[in-house]
Amino acid sequence: MQSKIPDIIQTVPLLNYVLLASILFIIGVVGVLIRRNAIIIFMSIELMLNAVNLLLIAFSSYRADASGQVFVFFIMAVAAAEVAVGLAIIVMIYRNIRSIDVGLLDKLKW
Amino acid sequence: MYPILVLSITGIITLFLGFLKSKKVLLPATLFFVTLAFFANLYDWNKPGLYFNNMLQVNNFTILLSAVILLSAFLIIALTKGFIDDEHAQPAEYFAILQFSLVGAIMMTGFQNLIMLFIGVEILSVSMYVLTGSDKRNLRGNEAALKYFLMGSFATGIMLFGIAMLYGANYSFNIDAARTVVTQMVSTQHSSVYLYVGVTFLLIGLLFKVSAAPFHFWTPDVYEGAPTIFTTFMSTIVKTAGFAAIYRILEVSFSPIYSFWWVMVIIMTVLSLIISNVTAVSQGSFKRMLAFSSVSHAGYMLMAVVGLSNKSDDSIVFYSLAYSLATISAFGVLMAVSKEKLVDGRPDESIAVLNGLSKRNPFLAFILAISMLSLAGIPLTAGFWGKFYVFSDAAFRGHIWLLVVAILMSAVGIYYYFKPIIAAYMRESEGEAISLTPFYKIILGITTFGSILLGLFPDLLRSLM
Amino acid sequence: MEYLKNILSLPPIYYTFAILSVLTLFGALGTVMSRNPVHSVIYMIVTFFSLSAHYILLNAQFLAAVNIIVYAGAIMVLFLFVIMFLNMKQEAEEMKKEKIIYTAVITAVILGGILIIFLRRAEREPVNPLTYNSQSGMIEVLGRSLYGEYLLPFELISILLLVAMAGAVMLGKREAGERHF
Repeated sequence: MQSKIPDIIQTVPLLNYVLLASILFIIGVVGVLIRRNAIIIFMSIELMLNAVNLLLIAFSSYRADASGQVFVFFIMAVAAAEVAVGLAIIVMIYRNIRSIDVGLLDKLKW
Repeated sequence: MYPILVLSITGIITLFLGFLKSKKVLLPATLFFVTLAFFANLYDWNKPGLYFNNMLQVNNFTILLSAVILLSAFLIIALTKGFIDDEHAQPAEYFAILQFSLVGAIMMTGFQNLIMLFIGVEILSVSMYVLTGSDKRNLRGNEAALKYFLMGSFATGIMLFGIAMLYGANYSFNIDAARTVVTQMVSTQHSSVYLYVGVTFLLIGLLFKVSAAPFHFWTPDVYEGAPTIFTTFMSTIVKTAGFAAIYRILEVSFSPIYSFWWVMVIIMTVLSLIISNVTAVSQGSFKRMLAFSSVSHAGYMLMAVVGLSNKSDDSIVFYSLAYSLATISAFGVLMAVSKEKLVDGRPDESIAVLNGLSKRNPFLAFILAISMLSLAGIPLTAGFWGKFYVFSDAAFRGHIWLLVVAILMSAVGIYYYFKPIIAAYMRESEGEAISLTPFYKIILGITTFGSILLGLFPDLLRSLM
Repeated sequence: MEYLKNILSLPPIYYTFAILSVLTLFGALGTVMSRNPVHSVIYMIVTFFSLSAHYILLNAQFLAAVNIIVYAGAIMVLFLFVIMFLNMKQEAEEMKKEKIIYTAVITAVILGGILIIFLRRAEREPVNPLTYNSQSGMIEVLGRSLYGEYLLPFELISILLLVAMAGAVMLGKREAGERHF
């Protein structure tokens, strides 16, 4: 059976997806570095993970190899676990100091 | 292979043991479970193989590393007697999470597939985030947990980007398959950009986790803020597992492109050695000093990775064991001494708290002295041979100036490792005598005996490989 | 003129890709730049939806659905819940000091430049229509792979979820007694 290649794989080079994912990743890294609100830092980390997901799916589709997409499952499961723990830590801190600005956390040098 | 299965099941059993009225059974049960895992681990000795569709590799190197991890875990958990079960309402959860984190650590020693590495790293890290924040009313602990969490997840993101790029180069997550592709690329002079980007990001992510400079900036704060017992756990088990992973991935997959990554690793080695040793000199807090010392030991262990000789795996096992034993006794002494003295509601952890320890409790002072000597690498202790082996690995590749830096920095290390010993033996005593339970004494005795034994007969361990 | 003609003659799927990419990056920038955390969450959901559209284009329909359910549905709702629960207001001095921002931007430009320069040299492999398996993103293929080859990591991820669950409950509980520093 001759299987059909999706249009996008025939027209758009893989490099475009790699560059898109890299730019998305760098936006996430910058977010981690410049923001002070712990929740937004955390969202920037989620952006980085999503850039990785896009990269894996792009590689996986262009080669028609399923293992890259399986890895994305694992990343999603891990992201969910991390979010649970991370938000619990943030709530715990908020109870004690009524703020989650990491700049206020200066008992230890940040 | 077996310890992963054993610890996964016993962890769940421990969670259920929490329903019992008496919490006294938890600690002996956990110690029994870890012992069980230790012997289950040795069961595979000399029976190398790949398991579960090439997900996990077992060979003597992974068994020895897992044994080091489980032994350290046993000693640390034994030291929790009187710490966890008194302070917290839910000790069962702590013991269960400790056992689960060991599953992650053992996965990191024997992974054959990058998915296993990723999940192992995550199980270990998520457990550590929780344990760091376990003292909920302590603001420093909270802050340390948040910092560790944000930096740890950031590192995971970087590591994943590297793994994705490697997938783009190899189209497989298997590390043996990666080696085949890399060897092919080297022989045909046809290199893939994805491969180089991937190796760089994967290495940076892993080095973040083992806190090698310049990615160590979170280490002192997190180590200082976390409850001491979990700091011990972080500085021994996380480090051993992390270096096992770094060494394994570089040795199995990327030794054909040694010329690409050695410059990067050597720069990080030198930075770790210099920054940590110079900063540690001016620290007033014993715990913070040990945190910087752990960064410097990461530097020494990276020397074995840079060396990548046929003896490097032995050196990593020996160094991790020597370092873990000494660190556990140092933190054990700190916990015993600082328990009584509270400053602002938390234990006093400055070096001054050790003043006159030789009068107050000669046994503890002796333990402290041996562990400091071992960390400094004085002959007749395990630390000396550990340093000797990693130095000879670096010499194997002819990195002579790296050796010079390392020896100079060891000399700086001797200066600050002697500060606690001087405090313990020369300063006036200001506190009352410290009493210890016999059990605590036995555990500290074992770690110190191990340091001395390996210092006198290093071949006991070396001949196993 | 020549350049414009080239752009106009691109196939429509290329336009779809370009528009979706712009939308993705717009959402990402909005997440990072906006002052109000609630706006950040909404921008992030824009990113997630456009990423899901990318996944559909790339023939990964199942992951596209999972992405919306897990990320936009569960994770973002959790974020929103915590933001509402903590009743966060937008803070006056929100960004870090200017020096840090400049350093971060310069780092990003350098990192981005290096990545782009390096990646542009990446080889372009043509897709072979004879060996291409268009079923690779379907549930059947993924399921076989997940429950066959990747069974052990799949089982072990349950340990991670157990740790996260026990840990989150433990940290979330209120503890009696004095706070101290």
